[in-house]
Amino acid sequence: MSVQLQTAPRPAAPAAARAAAAEFAHVAKTYTHPLFRSRKIEALRDATLRIEPGEVFGLLGPNRAGKTTLVKVLLSLCRPTAGTATRLGAPVSDRSTLAQVGYVHENQAFPRYLTAVGLLEYYGALTLLPPEVVRERAPKLLKRFGLADRGGEPIARFSKGMLQRLGLAQALLNEPRLLVLDEPTEGLDLEGRRLLRDAAAEVRSRGGSVLLVSHVLTEVEQLCDRVGVLVGGRLVHVGTLADFVQHPTKDRVRSLEQALQQFYVREGK
Amino acid sequence: MTAISSSRAVAWLVRDTFRQALASGPSWLMLAGSAACAALCLMAPVDGSAAAYALEQQLASWAVHVVGLLLALVATAGMLPAFLDPHRASVLLAKPVSRRALLAGKFLGVLAFVAFHATLFVGGAWLALAVRGGAWDPAFLLCVPLLVLHFAVFFSFSVMLAVATRNTAACVFGTVLFWLLCWAMNFGRHAAMGTLDPHVISPAFGWVIDSAYWVLPKPLDFQLVLSDGSHGEVLGLGRVTERGAWSPALSLLASALCGAGLLAVAAYDFAGAEY
Repeated sequence: MSVQLQTAPRPAAPAAARAAAAEFAHVAKTYTHPLFRSRKIEALRDATLRIEPGEVFGLLGPNRAGKTTLVKVLLSLCRPTAGTATRLGAPVSDRSTLAQVGYVHENQAFPRYLTAVGLLEYYGALTLLPPEVVRERAPKLLKRFGLADRGGEPIARFSKGMLQRLGLAQALLNEPRLLVLDEPTEGLDLEGRRLLRDAAAEVRSRGGSVLLVSHVLTEVEQLCDRVGVLVGGRLVHVGTLADFVQHPTKDRVRSLEQALQQFYVREGK
Repeated sequence: MTAISSSRAVAWLVRDTFRQALASGPSWLMLAGSAACAALCLMAPVDGSAAAYALEQQLASWAVHVVGLLLALVATAGMLPAFLDPHRASVLLAKPVSRRALLAGKFLGVLAFVAFHATLFVGGAWLALAVRGGAWDPAFLLCVPLLVLHFAVFFSFSVMLAVATRNTAACVFGTVLFWLLCWAMNFGRHAAMGTLDPHVISPAFGWVIDSAYWVLPKPLDFQLVLSDGSHGEVLGLGRVTERGAWSPALSLLASALCGAGLLAVAAYDFAGAEY
């Protein structure tokens, strides 16, 4: 199956800002069993994708489609078996660009003995932010995510939704140019979801980009400029949301779910 | 600026690890053990400074370097696997700090924790025995850096197992087994050199046990250094020393180098590990 790449027209940007937020060129990732070398799982196959500065990109696909693997390659958590990947214009092997990336993981497990403020200070130090910047931003972020009165409490007492909010706060601490959200709405209530949408909008308004991996289609519809569909490790579609929901043969639009179903059925998933 | 920021991040990791370890259950157990030891030393029927020094030697060679070391290894074995758990590590590893710096911060934090408890235990016992028996010679306090070095060598092996398996049980049992193996090798080598006639030992056998002795850490030698070799009589340590086959300084240096090698392997493995 050929992968059709479509890029929405964008206004001209300064040269420095034109570097893609993320770019994958023919990326493949094969996991090999640590004991039985012949047992292999192809998590990604020939994935080619470019995420532009200032766009919110949604990555869709069934379970075990390779979405998290793509995120891991982008964040240098694993290396591609073939192809090249860049992050903010530099190869993913260059860790310095991670200082401009925010990441929210679907199941965040933070050190439970830390307080919310302590966690932000800890993660701020690991993001190489000066302490005075962290001290200035942390209270504001906690207030914004409704945790201002819980800042001094050990996070062992936090609910899952509160942990997700704290996760969002830590991801925004460095005012990222690239925000990666991997199933971020897990455990979030309605207010939390609104805060998430606001955070994505804020990153975009600063010229940053957002990569959203989600099964919650309403989030994708509300947030994303373009979407990519991964099925069985292959990017089977990349395009604008409007293109995606346009029926291929009839002159009408479909729901996002119907459009997605078409790819799953075609790929036998 | 990056170097300053990186060292600040490592300092944060050290502080965080120390705080985490201090809040753990085993830490309270160790505190209670130190308090109990100091109390027992105060109540011990010590008659003069000679008896106090003899008691210090027993404490140094057995309570500190066997019980203390194994307790510290077991208490801290779970910290690295928990840190390397994919759910917790993925957000940390997506930060710009290098993986080697992350591992170094964690390692140094655990060492700081062990140094803190070793200081409390040894310092408390020394003060109690000094007050009770007038043994004010500070030589006993050398137990603290020696225990930290001894611990660092075997904790490096635990770190290597943690990176390879991310499993606490593997770290606990693997490290204790490694310690036993090294102790047996150390004891066997000194016993062979000290009690057997040199003509009885074949050159090949001598080369094998000597190589194993110099390559592996030497837990028994740490005990011997602290007990001034008094426990070595049973091994014929005097003969081993006469034959130039035991040098405390070289032994400690070789153990430290082995620990550094194990830690370098762990750091290399961690730098290339996939999450």
